[in-house]
Amino acid sequence: MYNAVVNELIGSLGLIKPELALLVTFVVVIIADLIFKNNKVNLGLSILGTIVSGIFLIGMSGTNTSAFANLIAVDPFSEFFKYLILISTLIVLVMSEFSEELHNRDVWMGEYYMLVLGMALGMFLLAGATNLIMIYLALETMSMSSYILSGYTKEIKRSSEASLKYVIFGSLSSGIMIYGMSILFGMTGSLDLYAIQSYLAANGFFQPAIFISGLMVIAGFAYKISAVPFHFWTPDVYEGSPITITAYLSVASKAAGFAVLVRFIKLTFFDAAGSSDESWIMMNSIPWDMVLAVLAVATMTLGNIVALWQSNVKRMLAYSSIAHAGYLLMGIVVMTNTGLMSILVYFFFYLLMNFGAFIVVMLFAHKIGSEEMDDYEGIGYQAPVLASLLTLFLVSLTGLPPTAGFIGKLVLFGAVLDSGWYWLAVIGVLNSVVSLYYYAKVVRNMWLRKVDNGKGTLKFSIQSQALVMVLGIPTLVFGLFFGPIMRWAEHSVRIFLGN
Amino acid sequence: MIETYVPLIVMLVVGFGVGFLFMLLSEWLGARRTTDGKQTTYESGMIPRGTARDRFSIKFYMVAMSFIVFDIEVVFMYPWAVQLGTLGMTAFWTMFVFVLILFVGYFYEYKKGGFEWD
Amino acid sequence: MNWYNIVFYLFALIVLVSAAGVVFSRKMMYAAFSLLFTFFGVAGLYVLLNADFIAVTQIMVYIGGILILIIFGVMLTSKFTDLEIKSGTTGTVQYVLAGISTIIVAAALIIMYLNVDWVQNPVPELESTVKPIGILLMTKYFLAFQVAAILLLLAFIGAAKIARRK
Repeated sequence: MYNAVVNELIGSLGLIKPELALLVTFVVVIIADLIFKNNKVNLGLSILGTIVSGIFLIGMSGTNTSAFANLIAVDPFSEFFKYLILISTLIVLVMSEFSEELHNRDVWMGEYYMLVLGMALGMFLLAGATNLIMIYLALETMSMSSYILSGYTKEIKRSSEASLKYVIFGSLSSGIMIYGMSILFGMTGSLDLYAIQSYLAANGFFQPAIFISGLMVIAGFAYKISAVPFHFWTPDVYEGSPITITAYLSVASKAAGFAVLVRFIKLTFFDAAGSSDESWIMMNSIPWDMVLAVLAVATMTLGNIVALWQSNVKRMLAYSSIAHAGYLLMGIVVMTNTGLMSILVYFFFYLLMNFGAFIVVMLFAHKIGSEEMDDYEGIGYQAPVLASLLTLFLVSLTGLPPTAGFIGKLVLFGAVLDSGWYWLAVIGVLNSVVSLYYYAKVVRNMWLRKVDNGKGTLKFSIQSQALVMVLGIPTLVFGLFFGPIMRWAEHSVRIFLGN
Repeated sequence: MIETYVPLIVMLVVGFGVGFLFMLLSEWLGARRTTDGKQTTYESGMIPRGTARDRFSIKFYMVAMSFIVFDIEVVFMYPWAVQLGTLGMTAFWTMFVFVLILFVGYFYEYKKGGFEWD
Repeated sequence: MNWYNIVFYLFALIVLVSAAGVVFSRKMMYAAFSLLFTFFGVAGLYVLLNADFIAVTQIMVYIGGILILIIFGVMLTSKFTDLEIKSGTTGTVQYVLAGISTIIVAAALIIMYLNVDWVQNPVPELESTVKPIGILLMTKYFLAFQVAAILLLLAFIGAAKIARRK
């Protein structure tokens, strides 16, 4: 009687090979750590597993279906985010190798790799989840690892505080999210996003209730992408966490949050009959676009304005990542496939430049023992290569040509203007101008202050400089030759819309 | 199906009732003679020493945490065990993977010496 | 009013009174013990909703596990029983703001509960929900079931990492 179901399950296993590869690596690293107690082995296995997972992912490219009785979707949209997550994971693993705060004898590196892999697995599942239970479980898998990782260097008081704040805010927002989910379930009798959508479309609904419950669920995702007003944890956690984890949280965890946000809104409230690829219509015209627009404006404005007052570079980058979440939210507001494409493009570039900036900040912190902006004075002449690259990343984050960040912003604002959200685009551009000020402040300190401070040049290892180069060159190249990325993103906007 | 809970409710009511009844009875009928022995804290016959309001060791936390994780595992096992006959070997392997994943945690904790008290 | 309703109101009363006890207790230990009755009352409500498996889980996991952990947590902290729960800033402004937002949330929820056409599937005559839950866990929710194992494993490793000093 259950044979058919069981066969379908076994068939579904083939669709989650990348996830399985991560799971196996995760378990193998745990065991290897206990047996060999050798960091190099752990690191090697983690990198190997990530690459194997990537190979499986390439092998599955173009799949557009649903697995495990609609628990997760395997579609080009989730695939794109999975690539982002894998690339981030690889960078974090390599970056951790250079981190001095982690290579302290008191820090357990074995668990560190496990938790990074566990987090990647959670994000993978989140990117594809199409069932409320699955969304919750994947979100918690990701959060659980990030809570622990953010307090990883716990002998530093700041780090423990960051972890605790993260847990408390995280549990609260999970609670709100799951409450919203339970109301949605009560109204539709289903946990499956496709089923919820078709129930709502067929039976109608009490609009305020759908609005409130949807908002509660979105609050849970907004917490992950640190959108205002769910951003309170961000600055402290970003400042207190090991810098590798800060970078990971600001890119990969945000990417997973965006993936699930887009999917949830599109699958649940989408009016399949009335819309095309070019404009998604939401059922009974619930103003989700307006809600997201307000969220976007609040997020980018607050992020940028508070970033102006920061004197710590890491904290400044934390606020700037809040602002970038705001820009990215604009891409959902327009509710078109072009908007979605612009999010993907922007995210890819954001990954390069944000990781780049964090790595350089980390390397500088090792040499000058500080992340304060004032201590960056004259560093351009002490470490010209890395300072030039940091300048490149910051210019790119601002969104000026000829960098990838410029293309990202161009595509994003283009999509916003195309669909007639002029005021939103204006606010976005004004925000970018504001951001120029605080990014430029770092650049000015590096190159124009204390030009000859008499300190000798700083030496950095070839490998660490090479890692930054790997991120820096594409940031420049994709600023000029962005065609491939655009095409890739265009192919990746397809979300599996049900059978 | 609610009816199946009637014995449980009866038991709860009787349990609470008896407890209260005997408290009240001893209050009404009991003699009131206070001695030193009666005034001390009851510690199963041991003579209490020190304060009860002391800090506990972090080891208790580890034990409690392990307990919760395996407690939840058991909760998942119960519905599995009840319908194993219907689904047969697939369900067996499903649970095998589930337990295997959690066993990794057990192995980890064991190797790290988490179960050693000292 | 049949006996079903009487039992329901009894459990609801237990939940409300003990939840108030959790919130208004000045001492951590009393709050933790009040929580015991809240969990118990909720388990009773689950039974009334035909959710027997959830009720047993509630008692096993929440009363048998989480509550114990909370009490350990209190006991691990020094001077636990005499610890007065105070928050830094409680002035009139905070009370008014908290009051207003509570009223807004409560009003929104009440309006919602009265107006929504909740899905009410006919309750099948089941001896117990355990069997169907077991079948769903092994088939439809297979993946969720395994992810739960991974989540528990991560929590376990994380707890070990946090609990141990260096």
